[in-house]
Formats: sequence, C-alpha cells, structure tokens
Amino acid sequence: MGDRRDLGFLFNPKSIAVVGATDAPGRLSRIIMESLTLGGFPGAVYPVNPKYKEVMGMRCYPSLRSVGAEIDLAVMAVPAPLTVDIFKNARGGLRAAVVISGGFSETGPGGKAMEDELRGVAEKEGIRVVGPNCMGLYDTVSRVDTLFISRERVRRPRPGAIAILSQSGSFALTAMDEFSSLGIGVSRVVSYGNRMDVNEADCLDFLAEDASTGAVVLYIEGIEDGGRFVEAASRCAREKTVMAMKVGKGRAGGSAARSHTGAMAGRYEVYRAAFKKAGVIEVAGYEEFMDGCRALNRLPRSRGVRIMIITDGGGMGAAIADACEAAGLEVPMLPEEKRAPLLRLFPSYFTVANPLDLTGSVTDEWMRGALSETLKGDSYDLAIVAALWGPPGLTDAMPGMLSAVAKASGKPVVICSPGGDYTKAKKPLFEKEGFAVFDTPEAAVRAARVLAGRQRARYG
Amino acid sequence: MADKILLESEAKDILRKWSVPVPRGAAIKTVDEAISSAEATGYPVVLKVMSRGILHKSDAGGVKTGLRDRGDVERAWAEISCAVKKSSPSAVVEGFLIEEMAPSGVEVIVGALRDEQFGPTVMFGTGGIAVEVMKDVSFSLAPLKEEEAFEMMREVRGYPLLTGLRGRTPCDVDALAGVIVKVSRVIASTEGLKEFEINPLIVYGKGVMAVDARAIFSFPRPDRSAG
Repeated sequence: MGDRRDLGFLFNPKSIAVVGATDAPGRLSRIIMESLTLGGFPGAVYPVNPKYKEVMGMRCYPSLRSVGAEIDLAVMAVPAPLTVDIFKNARGGLRAAVVISGGFSETGPGGKAMEDELRGVAEKEGIRVVGPNCMGLYDTVSRVDTLFISRERVRRPRPGAIAILSQSGSFALTAMDEFSSLGIGVSRVVSYGNRMDVNEADCLDFLAEDASTGAVVLYIEGIEDGGRFVEAASRCAREKTVMAMKVGKGRAGGSAARSHTGAMAGRYEVYRAAFKKAGVIEVAGYEEFMDGCRALNRLPRSRGVRIMIITDGGGMGAAIADACEAAGLEVPMLPEEKRAPLLRLFPSYFTVANPLDLTGSVTDEWMRGALSETLKGDSYDLAIVAALWGPPGLTDAMPGMLSAVAKASGKPVVICSPGGDYTKAKKPLFEKEGFAVFDTPEAAVRAARVLAGRQRARYG
Repeated sequence: MADKILLESEAKDILRKWSVPVPRGAAIKTVDEAISSAEATGYPVVLKVMSRGILHKSDAGGVKTGLRDRGDVERAWAEISCAVKKSSPSAVVEGFLIEEMAPSGVEVIVGALRDEQFGPTVMFGTGGIAVEVMKDVSFSLAPLKEEEAFEMMREVRGYPLLTGLRGRTPCDVDALAGVIVKVSRVIASTEGLKEFEINPLIVYGKGVMAVDARAIFSFPRPDRSAG
C-alpha cells in the first residue's frame, strides 16, 4: 500500500460504484446515480445491487467483486449493518468509499461499536473511507458528485478555486447552493461526517498541493487530532488562504480544570490559538463566511493589512475606516510622496487624505487616478472603493476603468456599494469586471480582513 | 483522582530551575522558623499556608501580607491556621511559606495547560487575581517564539498597562516575553504537567517577579496509557 496520506485516487477517481443503486424515483441511491450522471463524471460508473439487472439503463452488478475491475470509489447507499459485509467481500478490489449511511457513532454506543468494526475492516482491506454519516464529494475537477440531494433542490456551483471541507453535510450543501446563486466557483467539496478515517487534515494535505484549489474554507464543529490538524493546516495556509468557521463556541472545557488558566480555557479559546498558530483565518459566523468566500472567489490575497479607502462620500469612508480599525486592519495616512501627484489630479481646494473623499464633484477619471496613484508602490496592500452613484460625474465606464487599475496593480480592490435601486442596478457593471461587490462598509471590511489574512480581533 | 497538586514551594522550584525570578523566602513548619526566616529575609514579609488541598490560598484565608515585625508574623500564623481550619477543614496543612513582600508593579497572569486535542497551550492575561472577572486573556499553542509572546501581549485589552499608561514607567516587556516563552517550554517539556500558572507575575520597569505559582500534574491511568 502506498502513502496513506496520498488521497489522489479519492479526489480523482477513474471508476465509481454506487452500492445499493436503484431506479426507484426519490430514493437516495437513485438521486446519487442522477448526480453522478448529470455531473458528467467521465469515468466508469457501476451500479451495484443484487436485486436488479439494470439501473438507469446501465448494467447493474450483484456485488463489487462481480464488476471484475478495480474500483477507485464506492458510494455506499445501503443500511449501516450491510456496509461491513460489503467491505469484507470487496477483497482488495476497492480503494476508497463514501459511506453515506447514518446509524454509526452519531447514534450512541451500539452505532459506535459498528463504526469501530467498519474501521477495522476498512483498515484490513486497505479501503479509505469518507464518512460515515456524510454527503460525500462534489468535485468540479474530477466531476464527481455523490450528493443525495437533487440538483433541483440544491444547485451545484460552477468550477472555481474554492474548496469546502465540512463536518456538516447540510452546511456544505447550503453554502454550495448560495455559491451557485452568487456565482462563486468551487474546486472540491468534501462532507466527511463522522470522519471515521479521512479527516480535515488529510484533505488539507491533498488540497495544499492541489493546483485546482486556491483557497480552502472549513466548517468545523470539533477536531480530534489537534496536532495533526495544526500541522496540515499550517502547510496548506503557507500556500493558500485557509478560512474556518468554528461552531460550538460556548462549550466549556472538557476537563474539570481548577487553576485560573484552566477555568478561562474554554474549548473555543484553544481553537482560536490553534487557528492562530496554523495561520487559519477564522470567520465569526455564516455572514462573514459568505463575505469571505465572495472575496476569495474573485480577488487575490493581500500581502498585508494596510488599507486605502477611496470614496465619493465622506460618511461612508469614515464608516469603512472605523470598521477597519475594529477588525484590526490599518488605515495608514497618505505618505508625503503621494500627496503631490494626487493633488495634481484634483482642483486646488482639495484635501487629500486616507480615507480619500473625492466628493460630489467626482468623475470617472478622478476615481481611476486616485486608485492608480495610491496602489502604486508599497504604501498600501488593499483598497476599498466605496463608489456612491449619486454624483453625475460617475458613468458606467467607471467600473471598467477601476478594474484595469486593479488588475495592473495585482492588489485586491474591494468594492463597497451601498444604496437603493439605482445603485443595485449598477452592481452587475462591477461584477462583469470581476469585482466582488459588498452592500455595507462592514461586509466590505469583513472581506478585506479575510484577504489580508488578519486574525479575528478578540474584541470588536 | 489521578491529579497531583504541587505545593507553592514546589511549583516555584520549577520556576527557579527555569531562571524565572521568585521572591526570596523559605518553606517552614513552625512559627519560630517563620520568625527567624523573616528576620533573615528582612521585613516586610508575606506568610502563606501550604496544602495540596488548597489551590486558591487567598480564598481560603491562607495569605497574610505586609507583616512588619515578629508580632505580625505570630498573629498572622494564628489567624491563617484558624481561617484555614474553618474554610478547608479536610485540607492537610504541610507547612507555610514565608517570603519577602514583592514591590508593587503591573500584575499579569502567565498560565499553561495541556489541552486534550491541541496539546500544550499558553495563556497570557492582565488583571492578576481578577483575571476570571476581567477575562482579558489570550491563548497560543506551545512552544512559542518570542514574537508570538509579544503578539499575545498585544492581543489583550490591558496591553497599554504594560507600555506605560499615563506617564508611568513602561514595563519590561522583554522580560515578560521571556517568561511567557519559558512557561510554554515548561508545559511542552514536562511530562504529566497538566496546568501550570504564575499568578500574579509582577512586571516592573526592569525585571519581573513570580509572586505565586501553581502546578497540577495528571498521570494517565494505566488502562488508558496505550492510547
């Protein structure tokens, strides 16, 4: 057996069996068959079920062994007790399995015993297992879709660079559905449920090296092997953004600790420390998770935390500056050498500062020039542009002009565009240019924090 | 219980071994020893009860500070003995610790614990004994680099207390960072150490002093040692 950590065959399988496959409409295994075929998986698909000769027009096999070829991945859609026997009978012909079925350790001691037995058999037979009690995989690179939720109910996101690792299957699906509506693309999604074998660290190891993945976002309830997680997450975070949402923050420490330190150390405090050590950017909740994903979908990573704010509305600029400070981002004053070139762009009565308020006299060209001058050189790492559409000098050409500057600079530019119907109607102009647009100063700053890799402030 | 609580003097032995400054003093058994030790150290002194059954000595009435002479020491001895009997009747008193009074400075807490999932973890906070009320603390996984120790200081709200609030002398943050790093190494390198804590650590314009320390060891039960 090769390196246990190499999960390439799991993420890029050449053949998939669906164990428990059926034609019966509405059954989970039927939906899985549909997901796989509609997803356009290019490899071999083998329905396995002794009850049928044919499923969805494909030859159905009575057992995994009867397929007579090595199977990279089996999706197990059979009741929990049958899974153990099917693994035993696979006899070396199976490399990995997604065990959808529940009824294992999540149900109590009986289920735990069954999961232990399944783990033992899987280890003996050399089968890597995702799950049990999970949704499995959605992958736009290998075009694997093992989800037992129909595409009608939950849309699948387009190909992109974000990988989702989720302990909760429903969280992964909800995020995917929203991604689809927002146009956020994914590379690989893993719902690993009880993570009897394959866990978040194994996936992080693979994704660190995965050329199709630019950022990894995690939904975490709890981590079992903390040391292994920190090691894998650190390695991955050196290469790409790793963002995590941790739930269950209120839970107290597990041991009856008695020193002040013990009393203060809730589980969450230690998770925070682990994220900090590994360079994992934590998000506070679902809103921030989605803001972060929207930013990661469109924008490059920021090299630092120095933010330039450009606006044509002083109030919005000040609100963004406040939000930056609360988030631990810096809004440094304009350096002396930038003042003269900026002043040349504007009328003589102008004051230049950060935030830079271009006022109601703003023009497309002022916006472009302000962004270009301030992103030049090494004074700022990221710009937040709050473009308010009220002033008559702004035209539909502005987003394209900003985009050209942003692309040339290689730095992330976050668009904040609060407003009503007129403003909302202009949003696609920015999106067409590849910008992520945020409706509030707070959302824009949440996105900026994730791009800047700034840890969540303790207070704020 | 598989837990073993060290006496304050034993916890301070660990600190001495790691060159963290602690007050001069001695562990003693009788009031006469207390007086001769106080006279050798020099007044004012502090008298503290030592018992594995009392983890939080002040709460139990087991600490008397600012003792200026022999009479103070004798009175404190009697008062502590009486208070402890009342508050912790089952605790076995193994002796007393008599120490020089540390000058006042900025009180911080530097703690460490071994987390079940993430292993050795360090805590830094301001507020000294009020830490559980103020909850102004930050955590990091051990062992730490010095830069991470500075980052922990900057993470707490009370950080300006250390940098010279309102014209006061700035604290010796380098010495403080050194202690945080050392505590991270203590927890990372001491087998069985479950919790370790200096509270308060007093930080001065130059140097620091570990005024009180606790250590709790936990040894795995034999049937769990295989895991």
